[in-house]
Amino acid sequence: MDLTPNGEQIAFQAATADWCRDHMPLEQARARPDGLWDQLEAMGLPRITAPEANGGLALDHATEALVFAELGRVLAPIGLLSSAVANRWCAAPSGGKVALALTVDAPGPLRVLDPVDAAAVLMPQPGSVRVFAISDRPAAHRPTIDLSTMQSRQEWAAAAWIADDIRAPLHLQLLAAAFAVGCADAARDMAAEYAKLREQFERPIGWFQALKHICADMAVRAAVARSQLYYAACALDANEADAAFHVAAAKRLADQAALENGRANIQVHGGIGMTDEAHPHLCLKRAHLLQFIAPAASAALLAA
Amino acid sequence: MDIGFSPAEMRFREECCDWLHANVPVEKRPLDAADAIGFDKAWQRRLFDAGWAGINWPVDYGGRGLSIVQQVIWLEEYAKAHAPWIGANFVGINHGGPTLILNASEEQKAYHLPRILKGEAIWCQGFSEPGAGSDLAGIKTRGRIEGDELVINGSKIWTSFAQVADWQELVLRTEEGSRRHAGLSWAICDMHAPGITIRPIRKMSGLTEFAEVFYDDVRIPLANVVGGLGNGWKVAMSTLSFERGTGFIADQVKQSQEIEELIAAARANGMIKDDRIADSLAQLRAEVAAVRAMTYRNISQVVRSGQPGPEASVIRLFTSELGQRLERMAVMLAGEDLLDFAYGDDNMVQDYLRGFAATIAGGTAQIQRDIIGERLLGLPKSR
Repeated sequence: MDLTPNGEQIAFQAATADWCRDHMPLEQARARPDGLWDQLEAMGLPRITAPEANGGLALDHATEALVFAELGRVLAPIGLLSSAVANRWCAAPSGGKVALALTVDAPGPLRVLDPVDAAAVLMPQPGSVRVFAISDRPAAHRPTIDLSTMQSRQEWAAAAWIADDIRAPLHLQLLAAAFAVGCADAARDMAAEYAKLREQFERPIGWFQALKHICADMAVRAAVARSQLYYAACALDANEADAAFHVAAAKRLADQAALENGRANIQVHGGIGMTDEAHPHLCLKRAHLLQFIAPAASAALLAA
Repeated sequence: MDIGFSPAEMRFREECCDWLHANVPVEKRPLDAADAIGFDKAWQRRLFDAGWAGINWPVDYGGRGLSIVQQVIWLEEYAKAHAPWIGANFVGINHGGPTLILNASEEQKAYHLPRILKGEAIWCQGFSEPGAGSDLAGIKTRGRIEGDELVINGSKIWTSFAQVADWQELVLRTEEGSRRHAGLSWAICDMHAPGITIRPIRKMSGLTEFAEVFYDDVRIPLANVVGGLGNGWKVAMSTLSFERGTGFIADQVKQSQEIEELIAAARANGMIKDDRIADSLAQLRAEVAAVRAMTYRNISQVVRSGQPGPEASVIRLFTSELGQRLERMAVMLAGEDLLDFAYGDDNMVQDYLRGFAATIAGGTAQIQRDIIGERLLGLPKSR
């Protein structure tokens, strides 16, 4: 038993954080440069757990969750989630980016996230994931509340490929939880930095317990969610009987941390936190988007 | 990262499980400290004789010298087997003993540690005073040095198990005119010494688990100071770091039993059909899982670097507040039975009322949030 990252994992995590700071900072989340996806592919980020036959790195979910939490911190493209799942579980993966459809129970219109330049769409279902062709009509792309993520609508299509493995939708839920943990971290750090800089009553506002305790609660929520994320990743790696519960718990706690930290960050920033120019709203809006990706139902959390 | 245990650890878990199933007492632990003392001492002795006391304490002082991971395995099995709370032995096992291991002289360790492990010596804490609660550095109880003795005057409060204790971890001012953190010492006080008066304080649950302690020219040997004269603050902080680090693992693993019992109760009385209750239970179950994950993460950190990470204070705060949420849920599921509570009852209402201590004792939730804000996030110190 060891729930601390090893040297290689820490190195991968640090390299990802460095690269993100230089090439994919949170501050530019609403307008990513062209060719970003090719760079992500070149780094192997959508293929961390994919088998070597799929051009993957064949690493474990624990390493991938650590790295995805770093990517989530800068509000990285949502397509990374669906692409990583497709590349891991799809025997003949499509060459490029795979967009993400929100789950619908029966054939009907689909909401597809991050469709720009995607080759296919992945949709999670209870106990499986489906991959099918994207209806490529760029003119129909619309923004979402999350300014970094576009969306499109398309009809339910016959699946080109179905992964009938319970672990495939769990993988998506785990990665979405990792993104949410990163999002919660980003809001926490933004709030704490601002509380050290902004002065009122001739001292930094973080001196006041009223503000300090808001920030402390943000740290608690982020630490709680991150710990459960690590446990869930290990449970999935070990194919434990209760992996589904642990991944659902990770998603539930990470979603809450991202949303509550997103809200608290705006409060700590005061008036500037309300503006379009400042960055806090980017975290809040991403948190709201993540709530809809593989949400953790009460039933999954109460299952025996 | 992995959550698997080695074959040796799994064998150890089986041994724990087998012994507990054969030996956990059938009778319940009496509630009040005075009634429970015989039970607590006998149970601790049984644990010691079977090799289950001080699993990760040094062999030289009566421990087993095993790893902290094995200690956690033992505590997990302990909770699963519904073994009794260690009660009056809590302070000796979880604060006094570990503090001595880190700071005490060879003579002090050789004398006290085996007695703690055998349940022969009961310890209590002497930190808080009427004027020094969250502001612990405001301690006024003083110890005047006379030859090779300390002469103690003052008072302590909220001292759990004072009535039944043999020894006290006493923080007092040994340098006249000193202020705040300077001039304090951490001493082993004989609770049977002349000049000590104990006034038990009744809690809102009807129990008298804690007390006020008065010192009137109490004489103890100067040699009872631990970690050197004037170093009391440093030694006291190492005591508190156990509370904020690994001292509450038993409570943390107990919560995973409690949530399963609550879910079973809600299924049995049908209240789980209420979506809000089902969702609250689901939420609590996720939070309890996260406590285990945080505990494992903290333990892994201890194994890797020898000490808990800075996030240990997060675990302490989150666990104490989660415990209160579990107790509130238990009371909610009990419905009108709450109204029948009478002093001395041993039920979920008792636990609920007692549970208020969790966010007050050992540093209030507000002090914990200050610590998290200042040490983890680097915000400016407000005190």
